[in-house]
Amino acid sequence: MLDLLHSFALVSPPPAAEALRPRIKAFLTERLGKIPADIRARSWTGFDAEFSRDLANQGWVGFTVPKDYGGGGGSAFDRFVLVEELLLAGAPVAAHWIGDRQSGPLLLRYGTESQRRFFLPRICRGEIFFCIGMSEPNAGSDLAGVRTRAVRDGDFWIMNGSKIWTTHAQKSHYMIALVRTSGGASERQKGLSQFVIDLTLPGVDIRPIVDLAGDAHFSEVFFQDVRLPSDALVGEEGAGWAQVNAELAFERSGPERIYSSIALLDHWVKHLRRAKASSAATRQVGMLMARLATLRQMSLAVTARLASGESPLVEAAILKDLGTQFEQDVPSIIGDTVADDPRLIADQELVRTLAYVSLISPTYSLRGGAREILRGMIARGLGLR
Amino acid sequence: MQDALLAPFLRLLDDISPSTAVRSAEVGHAHDIWLKLSESGFLDALVSERDGGAGLQPRDVANLLLASGRRLLPAPFGETMVARALATRAGMRLPTTPILLWPENSQGKLRSSLAPVWAGATHALVQRGDQVSLRALGQFAAPADGYALPAATLATAAPVASFTLEPDALLSWSATLTAVAMAGAMAGVLDMTIDHVNTREQFGRKLGQFQAIQHQLAIMAEQTTATCTAARIALSRPLPGPSCLDAAAAKIAANEAAKIVCAIAHAAHGAIGVTAEHDLQLYTRRIKRAVASVGSSAFWADQIGQAHLSEGTDAGVFVRSHWAA
Ligand SMILES: Cc1cc2nc3c(=O)[nH]c(=O)nc-3n(C[C@H](O)[C@H](O)[C@H](O)COP(=O)(O)OP(=O)(O)OC[C@H]3O[C@@H](n4cnc5c(N)ncnc54)[C@H](O)[C@@H]3O)c2cc1C
Repeated sequence: MLDLLHSFALVSPPPAAEALRPRIKAFLTERLGKIPADIRARSWTGFDAEFSRDLANQGWVGFTVPKDYGGGGGSAFDRFVLVEELLLAGAPVAAHWIGDRQSGPLLLRYGTESQRRFFLPRICRGEIFFCIGMSEPNAGSDLAGVRTRAVRDGDFWIMNGSKIWTTHAQKSHYMIALVRTSGGASERQKGLSQFVIDLTLPGVDIRPIVDLAGDAHFSEVFFQDVRLPSDALVGEEGAGWAQVNAELAFERSGPERIYSSIALLDHWVKHLRRAKASSAATRQVGMLMARLATLRQMSLAVTARLASGESPLVEAAILKDLGTQFEQDVPSIIGDTVADDPRLIADQELVRTLAYVSLISPTYSLRGGAREILRGMIARGLGLR
Repeated sequence: MQDALLAPFLRLLDDISPSTAVRSAEVGHAHDIWLKLSESGFLDALVSERDGGAGLQPRDVANLLLASGRRLLPAPFGETMVARALATRAGMRLPTTPILLWPENSQGKLRSSLAPVWAGATHALVQRGDQVSLRALGQFAAPADGYALPAATLATAAPVASFTLEPDALLSWSATLTAVAMAGAMAGVLDMTIDHVNTREQFGRKLGQFQAIQHQLAIMAEQTTATCTAARIALSRPLPGPSCLDAAAAKIAANEAAKIVCAIAHAAHGAIGVTAEHDLQLYTRRIKRAVASVGSSAFWADQIGQAHLSEGTDAGVFVRSHWAA
């Protein structure tokens, strides 16, 4: 049961983790130069393979992977500081993002020794990029309803079906997919398994989907009689549901759930400094900063739980729901102040950033699990069912 | 350290702060509660060991303060603990009776639209500018403000003694302790609401089985844990205690959460929740009074907004430099 007063302990990154911050900041300032705010606002959907490789050269991709497997051997808090600085700078992190955040840790935990030896060093060098194949056209929130199927055929698995909304599938080398390996849809959580799929295999067809802001970051991926070698299975056959849930705790808890609209917020505040803020705007700034201070602390608390080997699903759901509300309130509050102020409208960069963030912000509370699903998890954590 | 303190403290609360005691304290009977609290030794937790206290810091007693909020402890527990710590640091001994905090502006006007709840206190530490003095309290005021809790008044007698503190230090403490009490009380409201929806049935099902109700309670949990986090951040600052911005973030979180939490709790309880007999009103009446005390969200947001606009840093740097726990 959720312990209301004690589940978010007060923690801060240890000094060793904080000591990384100046180096990371200096690297980013030098490497990124000046990026317009509307590009920074795309941070973790911004795909730039060269940037990811440069980051890997610093040892900052797969930072928490043990040194044995080519990683940085860093702590969860080291990664928190790194990710926080990347997001605050609006760095284009999408290329290595999924491999770094979840596929790497997943392979480390459930993969065979030879899978670890093969994939982890390549992830850490920024050579291979991953995507997540969970959602399907008829299995969104109801993930246990996936229909993509893999059937054993001698030493191979034959895979048929399709995935959708797969972020950057079109630019990734591998997908880790949740598929049905036994039983029918009525079996639900049973009979699901995870596979790591080489996206260059014959029978894989990837079609990018354009979003409402004109970007094409996600794709639909079709599998027709794709022959997967037996060592494509990740973890245990039939244990896919438990594995995917452990993966989702990683996906829901990071600082990316509070900083998605930070580029807009920072740019707006810069403008208010030049243009002498109204008292209403000053208060809005104060309200947003107060919320951000609390959310950052909650994110650190969840990081600490993950670092100690727990899987704090309910706390991660609370953080994600509150964090994405904050991220969505930023464009709505700023939109109101901009609409009434001709001096703000004159700043094309601000208006472009506002337009982008307000158009894309509905996705903040969909990706990684929709709001109603998270609230259901929290309610169960409170003892309601 | 914290858990070792918490278990005996929770046992003490079971004894001194059942809802019957909370109710009788509203009409003046709080003396026994204070005696037991005094004997427990917790009131000197923040006083240095050299001066006979436990030498703890505010963060070490966060769990105790939150727990007393959750049980509506009808005594100025945190206020007295803080008053004793600040006074002994300045070489001043306080009476062993309950003490309130009384932040004033430079004209001597209380910096809260509602006076502190009396709760059996005999004195207050009053701050004007950087001067802090101990003043006796007058006859408590009958609850004319409509919240039905006796309010404290200052006696006209001259201050007993005084010392100096950073201006508005007591304002920050008052707001912080108010936010902590609100966070605890909201957890208490959620406890009651969970219990209610897991018991009450309509349409042949427990209320808690309806998804609409489940989601409302999830929102309460989010708001409560966020307030609790903001309160803990403010309590993480070592003595002499929270900064203005610490207090601001905590009081804003508490005020904003309170509106949502009280509304949902009352809706989920239905008509029974608005009766005098039901304990829910003990909580929501105090929480709503606290919202109207020691600064609105707008007042505190002004402090933060002005600081951020004048410091010229990005949000990330600003948040880290003011609220790193
Ligand atoms: C930008 C973006 C990137 C994404 N990237 C990936 C990716 O890389 N890989 C991947 O696998 N997926 C990805 N997704 C998909 C994402 O995980 C799904 O969008 C999400 O799980 C919701 O599924 P859905 O879109 O099918 O909506 P639906 O499940 O159809 O939900 C629609 C609405 O109905 C509500 N709802 C559904 N069920 C219930 C219920 N039982 N009770 C109450 N309300 C309910 C939901 O909360 C939601 O509000 C991405 C999505 C976005 C927007």
